Amino acid sequence: MSDRPARRLDAPADVPDDAASADPDLPAVRAAQRDPAAFATIYRRYLDRVYSYSFYALGDHHDAEDATERSFLAALAGIGRFRDEGSSFRAWLFRIAHNTVANAHRSRARRPTAPLEAAGERGAADGDPATLVARAEELRAVVAALDELPEERRQVILLRFVDGLTAAEIGPILGRSPGAVRVLLHRALREVAARLDADEA
Amino acid sequence: MTDSRAASGGLRAASVAEQLDAAVSQLLAGGRISGPLEPELRPLVRAARLLARALAPVPVAPRFEARVGARLADTAERPLARRVRGLGELTREIRHPGRLIAAGAVSSAAVGVGVTALAVWRGGRRGARRRR
Repeated sequence: MSDRPARRLDAPADVPDDAASADPDLPAVRAAQRDPAAFATIYRRYLDRVYSYSFYALGDHHDAEDATERSFLAALAGIGRFRDEGSSFRAWLFRIAHNTVANAHRSRARRPTAPLEAAGERGAADGDPATLVARAEELRAVVAALDELPEERRQVILLRFVDGLTAAEIGPILGRSPGAVRVLLHRALREVAARLDADEA
Repeated sequence: MTDSRAASGGLRAASVAEQLDAAVSQLLAGGRISGPLEPELRPLVRAARLLARALAPVPVAPRFEARVGARLADTAERPLARRVRGLGELTREIRHPGRLIAAGAVSSAAVGVGVTALAVWRGGRRGARRRR
């Protein structure tokens, strides 16, 4: 946590604040805190990413839709409580999505498998058939390797690659320091690379 | 000696993890990977490149987008939500004790002035009756 004192989002704009100028979502967040109808901007901005994260984490379109809807409803209900305390808004939003996905995992208690299909579908978008088959196989192998990872390392990969969060943003979501997140990422990629090597061999 | 070797090993691991993290950032930003990169990280960067391609954004069904959008708009406009917002503003006021103390002082003074005025008025009336 930052030692910097908490600052309300609706503080005057002339108050200098590095974090405020660094987080591009703050104007939209301030607007939604004053008028919940303005939350639509945030919804449109993050729908794809929250949905993609939920889909890759849960492996099912129906479950991903359910988790996405819950995440945005929870974000709307809690937007008034969001404080700019050194953590970005998107990190706050993905913490909600992460908790929603974790609850969904607990309620169904099974591992996802569907991302393999999604990877294959995207691989077959364009190009010559031989290349497409090779690419689809490669992507299937990658996502299969991802599915074999321990949950925490898998989460680091999803948050880093699907949502583009930085180690500093992933840290509070997983309850780890940024350095520990980087080490987890390193281990996860080493494991994925080793599995890909084994597949090729 | 052993401690210093372990410490340097830990520092090296942290530095390697930082290098990899920087390479992943460059990869995700769509740029070329520049800067120092340990040879052992090359297969990991290849895996990262494949993951970035495999984990591309998944398109959202337009019907789903519209349905959730409508539900959020409905929740945002509901009277209960407005009342909760009003409550939020009230609690925000309470978070500024200076304003609360000033409001309390002004209202106490107003009550005091009112009571004093009433007492003076009633005292004046009693005095007038006695004089008659």
